[in-house]
Amino acid sequence: SAQSSKPADYVYFDRTTAAFSDDAVPRAKAAQLKLEHYYKVAVDAAIERNTRRVELERRLQTDTMLSDERKQRQLMQHGKKESTFLRLRRTKLGLDDFRTVKVIGKGAFGEVRLVQKTDTGKIYAMKTLKKEEMLKKDQLAHVRAERDVLAESNSHWVVQLFYSFQDPSYLYLIMEFLPGGDLMTMLIKYDTFSEDVTRFYMAECVLAIEAVHSLGFIHRDIKPDNILIDKDGHIKLSDFGLSTGFHKNHDSSYYQRLLDQANGAVSPTSAAQAARNSVMVNAINLTMTSKDQIATWKANRRKLAYSTVGTPDYIAPEIFLQQGYGNECDWWSLGAIMFECLVGYPPFCSETTHETYQKIIHWQYHLVIPDDVHLSREAEDMIRRLITSTDRRLNVEQIKNHPFFYGVDWSAIRQIDAPFVPRLRSITDTSYFPVEDLDQAGTDDTAGADTNDSSKDLAFLGYTFKRFTISNGA
Amino acid sequence: SAPSPATQKPLYLCSPFVEAALVKGNFKTIVMLPKYVDIMEWVAVNILFSCEYTVFDFFQNLNMFYGVISECCTQQSCPTMAAGPTLNYTWINQDRKSVQLPAPTYIDYVMTWVQNLLDDENTFPTKSGQDFPASFPSTIKHVYRQLLRVFAHIYHAHYPQILHLRSEPHFNSLFAHFLAFGREYELLDIKDVRGPPNAPAVGIGALWERWKEMGILES
Ligand SMILES: Nc1ncnc2c1ncn2[C@@H]1O[C@H](COP(=O)(O)OP(=O)(O)OP(=O)(O)O)[C@@H](O)[C@H]1O
Repeated sequence: SAQSSKPADYVYFDRTTAAFSDDAVPRAKAAQLKLEHYYKVAVDAAIERNTRRVELERRLQTDTMLSDERKQRQLMQHGKKESTFLRLRRTKLGLDDFRTVKVIGKGAFGEVRLVQKTDTGKIYAMKTLKKEEMLKKDQLAHVRAERDVLAESNSHWVVQLFYSFQDPSYLYLIMEFLPGGDLMTMLIKYDTFSEDVTRFYMAECVLAIEAVHSLGFIHRDIKPDNILIDKDGHIKLSDFGLSTGFHKNHDSSYYQRLLDQANGAVSPTSAAQAARNSVMVNAINLTMTSKDQIATWKANRRKLAYSTVGTPDYIAPEIFLQQGYGNECDWWSLGAIMFECLVGYPPFCSETTHETYQKIIHWQYHLVIPDDVHLSREAEDMIRRLITSTDRRLNVEQIKNHPFFYGVDWSAIRQIDAPFVPRLRSITDTSYFPVEDLDQAGTDDTAGADTNDSSKDLAFLGYTFKRFTISNGA
Repeated sequence: SAPSPATQKPLYLCSPFVEAALVKGNFKTIVMLPKYVDIMEWVAVNILFSCEYTVFDFFQNLNMFYGVISECCTQQSCPTMAAGPTLNYTWINQDRKSVQLPAPTYIDYVMTWVQNLLDDENTFPTKSGQDFPASFPSTIKHVYRQLLRVFAHIYHAHYPQILHLRSEPHFNSLFAHFLAFGREYELLDIKDVRGPPNAPAVGIGALWERWKEMGILES
């Protein structure tokens, strides 16, 4: 029997928390969660570091042109870089390290500012997010997704995230500053674009969306205000607030569970556990077969996601219908943006969001190109093959080969001259942003922001980030 | 009932608690010096307190667990810094005299001292381009020895509380990691962990030996 297999020194211990203060139990739970997180991060970091080294070694091994001495030097350099990265991880960054130049944008949970890092003088865009608002609106999973997309990508199609940090009231994302404003502002200014100009922006969007998909993410919220313009007039995608990456941490219910556990709410599993003498934990495994692990981890991110969110104009009908969807929903959004570029307004725009939803769901009856707008056959066909049911919607290869994009050099588009290049007088020029409309007074409403509670901080575990790029070091 | 030999043994040496672990596998994965990396940076990042929420280190993790049970560690319950039936750590005071202190006072001194060191840019440089002081290895060893004593006291005096709070897998793994790391970088002297070489190991020394037998730690 199980009894007889117990070792001689097996001890039964009656566990009870009766003798502790009310505080001790949630604090113990919080300590356990933090430690679990610590070991997960440590293992991931070891795997990543290992992968970086193995890649370099493999590259050097296959390089027959390089002398052994130069190879050795490259390895030493690599070690130096990793060492600097370790130090960077200890560097404490905070709000004090940045000076606000101007508020340049506003969002649902805070604002976007142009800032300057005081020691290096470098310019960044800083997005502020109020923790309390995010907890209230259950947006945490979404912001974590945004941080992860920005952090993981090295893609020039995605706005780069350099640092993120937090204080008791706010989360901060320090991103590269794109001085050209966004496509929405541009559309407001020009009303419509020619087909040539539209082709340029759409082609860049195709590559940008493809890049996001290849990172394992679905954007879900591509709209003109999230298409930002860099100093050369090329585009980058921002605002991954709504994108799903299928990390466990992107699941809102995950945070709710963390908070409940920390608050001592008894879950069914812990009730069952209470009867046991030994404590069950989801053990973290230190043995790494890095390749397999990374592969399964990536594969797991590709599951379907369900949920309804955001400003509806560009959102695909399948998202509202809650039956699950794949990354083709982003191509619908692209179709809606293309329509807007050529026609001047999005295809289903209405007085109310409710009406917009209705029109999108019954898109067959509402997708109408007005008589006074003259589109080429190719352009109209492109739109109709994006704004259509999922089974007929083109995939990325079909889109690239569509006659509308005839003549586009997909491998060199970022190198050609953009149709509009922002004319900037300085690195802090904000003339492409509607700064007059924004309250420049600042947001010093930290009083009353009661987020010092440690159980709430748990929800923001793992938020802080520093990019592995030495040139950006302090 | 008369205490059996098994119940005289400290709980942390008994099954199933001695096997409880959050982290399974070989600590080498996260303890090993990454190839080509500056050993000073590697040691510093693992021991250092960081205000950031993601970088937890031994000091902060231990502090966190001690914080949870500190309500049970009082002048009355722990009048000395005990780590075994006959083992009491003493504190060296300003006059270089060794003195007995109540455990909470002793631990408070340790934690405050370490915290101050960690905040000191001269001991733990965080700015890029700044080198570690020559005294860094000996400072770190000193810190390590004191943190070991805090672990030892918790195991000796507060393990039942760790069990009541169902934290033993976590606390065991933290300590095993601490030991593995300390041995790898020679931050720990065997005699500090095990006690005098010709006597049977007591307290955490016995735990260390048990974990080596079980293959959780390397010898
Ligand atoms: N990296 C950046 N560089 C320059 N401007 C930016 C940057 N990021 C955002 N902005 C500006 O700030 C505006 C708001 O940013 P963003 O859309 O990311 O905020 P948000 O809080 O997610 O808003 P919402 O959720 O309502 O879309 C953008 O439309 C853009 O004009």
